[in-house]
Amino acid sequence: MTNKAIVIVGGNLLAKELLKSFELNGCSVFLNDFSKAKQIDVVIETTNVDLEQKKLNLQEIESVVSPNTIILSTTLQVTATEAASWLRYPERLIGFATFSNFSEGKVIEVAAALQSDTGLLSNVKETFGAINQEVEVVEDEVGLVYPRILSLIINEAAFALTEGTANAKDIDTAMKQGTNYPLGPLEWAERIGIDDVYAVLIGLHKQFGEERYRPAPLIKKLVQAGWTGGESEKGFHHYQNRRVKEFSI
Amino acid sequence: MNQIKKAGVVGSGTMGAGIVQLLIQNGHPTVMFDINQEAVDRARTGIEARLERLVEKQKISVNELTLAKELLESTTDINAFKDCQLVIEAAPEKIGIKRSIFQQLEEICAEDTILATNTSSLSITEISGQIKKPTRVAGLHFFNPAPIMPLVEVIQGLKTSPEVTETLIDFAKKINKNPVVCKDTPGFIVNRVARPFYNEALRIMNDQVASVEQIDRIMKGAGNFKMGPFELQDLIGIDINFATTKSVHAGFHGEDRFRPHYYQERMVQSGSLGRKTKGGFFSYDE
Repeated sequence: MTNKAIVIVGGNLLAKELLKSFELNGCSVFLNDFSKAKQIDVVIETTNVDLEQKKLNLQEIESVVSPNTIILSTTLQVTATEAASWLRYPERLIGFATFSNFSEGKVIEVAAALQSDTGLLSNVKETFGAINQEVEVVEDEVGLVYPRILSLIINEAAFALTEGTANAKDIDTAMKQGTNYPLGPLEWAERIGIDDVYAVLIGLHKQFGEERYRPAPLIKKLVQAGWTGGESEKGFHHYQNRRVKEFSI
Repeated sequence: MNQIKKAGVVGSGTMGAGIVQLLIQNGHPTVMFDINQEAVDRARTGIEARLERLVEKQKISVNELTLAKELLESTTDINAFKDCQLVIEAAPEKIGIKRSIFQQLEEICAEDTILATNTSSLSITEISGQIKKPTRVAGLHFFNPAPIMPLVEVIQGLKTSPEVTETLIDFAKKINKNPVVCKDTPGFIVNRVARPFYNEALRIMNDQVASVEQIDRIMKGAGNFKMGPFELQDLIGIDINFATTKSVHAGFHGEDRFRPHYYQERMVQSGSLGRKTKGGFFSYDE
């Protein structure tokens, strides 16, 4: 339990789920609104795809909160170190990475930026503890561990779908029943938001400069079309069914 | 449509014996073939012992056990496949061996017998390349342990006929499996899409982002995977996992997404292969 005042900034599924989760656990939490709390202890910034927006958000946050307010920033497309470099007081930024269905699990990963005051980590642990999440502290790198590995699995599933190796349903079934994944990669992407998966992929691709991390063109197109799963209810399956309809006329 | 009354399995190793057990447990008369008597006898003893354990655990009845035993014909004579409507090849993953088996099978079996391969790393199209009637060749890829894992990949080679695919889908359902259909692409579905689970975990570990223990904890705790990438490599065998990655990488002609990690090769070179050597990424000393 924490009696800290938390502000969440962002418009993705993750922002909404964090809001819901902190509210459910009795925390004083606000979405994109700094006017309600007298003193804000923690700000959580969740923008992933649009980095210009993320930068503006972080700078705006800094202009309205006190210099010692902790800023938690997602590291899906950028490292905490890069995000911290956009701030006047970079030492108060800590990175974290997860996807919007985090409440189905019990661990959120956290990474200090090179510039971070690592003394803040215990505070971060307490913040996520309030929503029943344990913290694993790892080194700062794009996507940290779980979002990075899962995004690459989803990327491979998207390449396989593009090549017509199998249909979306069979790809999902195969991964659940052939190797015990809790969800099929394509349905997983639709649940957490294909936009955040795309953010991890472009982030890794840029960070390492390796072909290995190139996002599947299909994922890029789905994001451009706004077919990112989640609330849009359109994603890989919609894409595939649309094609089937078109060819069967 | 081709009715499968009797099936045959080539090879009595782990996968071959597992497939045979699955078939007889589901009431299919099955011929199990291997080149030497000792291997066939060992496999038969193993299958019977596993079925007896299922009786003890009350998973199957004594009658079912008796019936299953009667359904199994084990042999070292490849001609025993002549009255099978389906033969599933589960021989070692060597293209030369597989091609020679398929050439023998097409001489022995009826013209409409379906010839399937349980390969996980070779191309169906390559295996069927020298066959007179490649339309009857397809992949039927089971997962270890075959009697338990629910999935079967039905793989269409470039020339596999749609009727053969349909028959295999129906057959898979009859033996209580869930078939998925895929094209003849490197690693098919599972072995391809699962590559980053291991490969990226190795990269993250070797780049010192997180430790082996941490990565496993995170993938289970945050992603709800039943096993972490390192304990799963230990279970599968790090050598087996490395070989699969190499084969998918080669199948895609060096596509960078599948590039094996040198650290995994070091593990194989060190002889720490996982549970079977009592040590891999984790230690399994009693």
